[in-house]
This record gives sequence, structure tokens and C-alpha cells, in this order.
Amino acid sequence: MLFGILMIFTTCENIFNFSAYMANVKEEDKNTTAKNLQLIEDLQSESKDFKFAFVTDTHFFYDNLKTVLDDINKKEDVLFVIFGGDYSAQGLLKEYEIFYDILKTLKKPFVTVIGNHDYNSNGGIIYKEMFGAFNYSFKFNDNKFVLFDNVVWESNKIPDFDWLSSELSNNALFSQVFVIAHIPPSDNQFTDAMEQNYTSLMSENNVPLSIHGHTHGYSYEKPYGDGVNYLTVPSLKKPKYCIIHVKDNSFEIELIKL
Amino acid sequence: MNIKNICIAVFTCSFFVNTFAQDSTFVKSKLKTKTKAKEKAWYIPDYAKMQFAGNLGLLSVGAGYEVAQNVLYSELLYGFVPKSVSNAENIHLISIKNTFPIFTKQIGDFTLSPIAGFTTSVETGNNSFLILPDKYPKGYYLPSAIHFTLFAGVQVHKKFKNQNIFKGADFYVEVGTVETYLFFALTSKEVPFKDVFSSAIGVNFYF
Repeated sequence: MLFGILMIFTTCENIFNFSAYMANVKEEDKNTTAKNLQLIEDLQSESKDFKFAFVTDTHFFYDNLKTVLDDINKKEDVLFVIFGGDYSAQGLLKEYEIFYDILKTLKKPFVTVIGNHDYNSNGGIIYKEMFGAFNYSFKFNDNKFVLFDNVVWESNKIPDFDWLSSELSNNALFSQVFVIAHIPPSDNQFTDAMEQNYTSLMSENNVPLSIHGHTHGYSYEKPYGDGVNYLTVPSLKKPKYCIIHVKDNSFEIELIKL
Repeated sequence: MNIKNICIAVFTCSFFVNTFAQDSTFVKSKLKTKTKAKEKAWYIPDYAKMQFAGNLGLLSVGAGYEVAQNVLYSELLYGFVPKSVSNAENIHLISIKNTFPIFTKQIGDFTLSPIAGFTTSVETGNNSFLILPDKYPKGYYLPSAIHFTLFAGVQVHKKFKNQNIFKGADFYVEVGTVETYLFFALTSKEVPFKDVFSSAIGVNFYF
């Protein structure tokens, strides 16, 4: 038994842990978003036809996360991955670290939006250090991707609709603009005014697809009758994710069940 | 997987073995302290404790009681992590730590014992909540301020020749984990056991 204790002692990843609530992100785990946006930019081409994967609500379904990442690694035509939030349950550094460690096995660039669970405890501080800004956008092959933090309760703030509006205002310059936010607009975190604010921004700016997680279920429909598609991708409770095939002025959704 | 099994074995042993681990020297020393203990009011602690790390704070200090000598030692601890180290708010932790010596072995002037136990700890800073804030629907989250830790380690006790201030001291080294982390390691093969365990060192000074 003493031997067992000694063995554990010498193989521990973190020799000392002071508290579960720590927010001191390891130096090598910082600024992940900026690093990956550079990798995504390097993948750009003239092609208007490409695929990306959307994986969300990974929580503690770590084995399913690995299964999904292995599957994405095998698909050469999937260029990058977008994660839709909820990488943790309690927003603890350990949860972020486990998620990030498994993500190191992904052979493609990835970007993330924050989920409501990820704000718990000191999760907001950790997210900002480990990944980067809560709201940001990037261009890819003539398309624009807008990643929007719409968490209300856990973040103690109102979603920055002014930022979203200004990001969407130049939509005419792009073939298509995709918006990604953790919570679908119909959720009870939003007041009716917030829901209307979001959905009218989508329709006024010709957003063809708004992508979400949070509900743990699958839905793909146009609930507001304005031509905007709302996609909600299931959690990793089962190894499921979506591949979005972007074409010239259109797209196709494929739900993968492993 | 190998380490996983060892850990499970360590914890299982620790909870069962101490029930049976009695020998004649124990009983003798037990009788001695029992008579001694009667001279002292029940609320006076038997020892002072200071621990580094172990998910109870950068440093935790407190008072300990020999609840059942050579079977259960319980301690009330206050732990702290300053802002500069936590990279968030100051972390304040109030913990009750229960240590079980599994058996004791006399080696010269020293008494060596493998130890194991668990801690209940409440965070009282602004990093968590005990009562769900009003903005959430009922039952949306469990209280985030309470955590449990499990640990196992080795303790060395030395009686002091000069007993004017302290009668003796323990030095101990432990490896431990938080219940949430242990759940991840047990339920997922993607979470290696070594990633969820960390160490702690500490001292006890007996009055």
C-alpha cells in the first residue's frame, strides 16, 4: 500500500492543488482561440464548398467526446470544429483542463463559445484565459462566422446585442453569415424582448443559420417564419454531432450518430 | 488502470482495516490517555494543525481532537488562497477533516502510521453559493460551495523529550482528490487517475 501511495505521489500531474475554485490557467493552455483562428486562416482557399463540425454540451461525457473527435479526425473534408459551450458542470478549472487535454487529440483547428455552465464559480475567468474573448468573429472562404456569448443568469450580464448588430451589419460582403451562440433564443433565460431582439437581428441581416446547443436535444427548423434556420445540436450524452456542409449560397446539415 | 486499481484498494483498505487494527500497545496507550483526558475539558483541542495544499487552501490551520485514539482524529480547519494565487477572488474554506490511522508501527523514537480519511469543506468566499440565487428556477443547480475530499498517506509521530510547550508532533504526507474529480476518473477512461490526485503535507503539534 505504501508503494501505491508513493507511486501516486510521483505520477500526479499537479503536485499540489490548493482549491477546486482556483482559476490559474497553465501558461501553455492560454489564448487557445487566437492560436486556432490563425490555423483556420491558414486553411483558407478559393473554394466556396467546405465542411465544418459542430459539437456541443460535452459536460463530463469525456469518453463520447473522444469518440466524436476520433470520428472527426478521420473525416478529411471537415476543415475545422466549432464547440457550442458547456464544457463543464461547475465551471471548475479541473473540468476545463480535462476538456482541453482531450481536445489536444483533435487534429483540426477548433473554436468555442461559452456555455452557461462554464460561467459557474470562476469559470468566466478561466474561459477568458484559456480560450479568449466571449464575443468574436472570423472569416472563412467568403463566409463569416459570428460567435456570440448569450448567457444571462450565470454571467450576470445582458448579451451584447449592440456588438452582435455591428458584426452582422456588413453581411452583404459575405456569401453567408453563420451565428453561433450556446442558448437557443426561445430558452427561459431570455425575456421576450431579448428573444425578439436576437431573432430580428438574424432576419434583418439575412443570417441563414443560427446554431445552438444547451437543450441537449436535436432540432432544425424555422420557428419564426422569417426564413432563418435554427439548429440545436444534441449533447454528448450520446456520441452525436453535426456536420455543416457550406456551399455557394446554401448549406446542408448532417446529424452524425456514432 | 493499474493506478486506478491501487487507489481503489488504498481507500477500501483504509476504511476497513482501521476497525481491526488494534494491538496491545494501542490498548495501553489508550488507557493512559483516557485518564489524562479526564483532566481536560472536552472542548480543549488535543493538537494544532497546519496543512499545505490538499484542496483545503494554500495553507489551512486549525484545531484537532482525538475523537477515538488511534482510530479517528477530527479537525476543524480554516484554509485560505489569496487572490494573487487563485487568479480570482480570495478563497476561504472551512473544513472538517477526519483522519483514520490504519495501523501504527514503532520505529526507534518514531511512530509510523499509514493514514486515510475524508474532508467536508465549505467555501465561504464569493467563488460559489450555498443557497441557489433567486434568478435560477428551483433546483437548476446543486449548491456549489460544498466539496468532499478523499485522501491517503503516511504520518510520522515523534514524542518530544522536552514537553513544556508541545508533547509531540506529527508530520504527514498525503495524496488526495475531490469527489467530483474522482467521479470523472471512475466514469471515464479518458481521465487518467494521475490527473485527479494531488498531494498535501502537514504537521500536528500536540498540547
